[in-house]
Amino acid sequence: MSTYELTPTRVLRSEWHKLWTLRSTWITLMSAGLLTFGIGLLMGATYETGGGDGDVDVVVLTLIGVQFAQIAFAVLGILVTAGEYSTGMIRASMTTVPRRLPVLWSKAAVFGAVTFAVTLVTAFVTFPAAQLFFAGTDQEASLGDPGVVRALVGSSAGLTLLGLIALGLGALVRSVPGAIGAFIGGMMVLPEVIAMLPYDIVADAVEYFPTKALESLLSAEAVPGAASPGGALLALTLWAAATLAAAALLLERRDV
Amino acid sequence: MTRPHGIEAVELTKRYGDKTVVHDLTFSVRPGSVTGFLGPNGAGKSTTMRLLLGLDAPTRGHSTVGGRPYAAHPAPLTEVGALLEARSIHPGRTARNHLLALAHTHGIPPSRVEEVIGMTGLTDVDGRRVKGFSLGMGQRLGIAAALLGDPATLILDEPVNGLDPDGVLWIRTLLKSLAAEGRTVLVSSHLMSEMAVTADHLVIIGRGRLLADTTVEAFVRDAGASAVKVVSPEAASLAGLLGGPVVDVERAGPDELLVRGTDSRSIGRTAAAHGIPLFELTPVTASLEQAFMDLTHEAVEYQAVPLEGAAA
Repeated sequence: MSTYELTPTRVLRSEWHKLWTLRSTWITLMSAGLLTFGIGLLMGATYETGGGDGDVDVVVLTLIGVQFAQIAFAVLGILVTAGEYSTGMIRASMTTVPRRLPVLWSKAAVFGAVTFAVTLVTAFVTFPAAQLFFAGTDQEASLGDPGVVRALVGSSAGLTLLGLIALGLGALVRSVPGAIGAFIGGMMVLPEVIAMLPYDIVADAVEYFPTKALESLLSAEAVPGAASPGGALLALTLWAAATLAAAALLLERRDV
Repeated sequence: MTRPHGIEAVELTKRYGDKTVVHDLTFSVRPGSVTGFLGPNGAGKSTTMRLLLGLDAPTRGHSTVGGRPYAAHPAPLTEVGALLEARSIHPGRTARNHLLALAHTHGIPPSRVEEVIGMTGLTDVDGRRVKGFSLGMGQRLGIAAALLGDPATLILDEPVNGLDPDGVLWIRTLLKSLAAEGRTVLVSSHLMSEMAVTADHLVIIGRGRLLADTTVEAFVRDAGASAVKVVSPEAASLAGLLGGPVVDVERAGPDELLVRGTDSRSIGRTAAAHGIPLFELTPVTASLEQAFMDLTHEAVEYQAVPLEGAAA
């Protein structure tokens, strides 16, 4: 008699195993973390008071490497879903879990938890390390200053949600290059293009686009004209939820 | 473990756009024997298997494995072990990690993973990434994955593809022993010769339609190609004596006849009764391959008619 049974917890366990048994996971996570940390130190080391960056928010300046890291996390999110289609692994996954949806939820949960942990550690290591250089300049700040902890946690939450959008896009597009193209086009280029339209309402709406929302989450001090931290977080959550819901709907309906 | 059900396909139909790949396919596969799923390339075998596993949704019709739709089982891996034609393995993982990832979903312990690695002869390569695997090793890994849940039913798409002669023999023995244990085994192939030595039952399709659902034995018999070769110096007069409403006599040469519809015993009697000497009297059994070709010929020919017309 066998006691084998398919359960959601076990699917989660399987996706955890899948994530860590691929080199691409280690490479993207390490490069994203190191890039953020390295660029943060570089910002501190090369900073001069009166050099023109005095009005830039201290967390934004420290975590400027997030601009690059977000692409690495997006690529990882896309590899988690679309990677299974390009390798054929999806057929094994969907035969093993024929109800399909637990696979998507588990992928999102595992990727979300890991990304949040890595980005949180990165932010809280990079900020104090960069401050060793910023000390004595007009960018001197501490974790206790208003908004700093919120912005550091916000960077982590924002990157995680942006990564989840990419994961959902990967499941929708089913191709790694296709999803990377959709992510860069839709998340990074499109808001810039739309922002050029000469309507106030468009300018306001663009602030709630995922990458724009991440920017305002990163800022310790409120940015005039941008979304509030709470609004930005809500917007990113809705974007991620909508993308994953669409991915789930199509995963149930389409042939594998 | 109760294993009474087997596979049931009822009026399975799959259309992609305006192309009907599987057409109104009804068949059943019983436990305890190896069933060969045969058809020329492109006949719809892989699609049918994908429909059975719920990877594709049928346009019409339905199927059950072990008495339920595949997805309705609480532990699908213990119900069906599947090997698909297209590779279903991430090349970046090691063989063991691939199997562990599948095993975790059902709470299958690592000891069972080691067991199937041993059974499929992957012990020396289980720590290597699948990227460097030969076609044969990839196939063995696919079979290891299929055996993981000790399933009641096996659905294997062209399992001998890429295997060396040792591997082919191993598969044959494996399939027969799995069936002998009471499991349901459905194995597809486009080679009749392979199925002749492996399968007991045959489900034959061509262009997505069912052509035959029979046993290997009955298939050859019913193919109606059995004949008796007769060589006699008085072939012409013998032909006159033998010919009749159910007996077909074909002149194969000046002294040679090919007789269908009767057996060598009665031909010998007739010849003896009329004092006709016989030099040779040989029953000719059609090869399985020939019977298969004859059966699928129409399905293939149907497709090729316009081309022949153009060539002429």
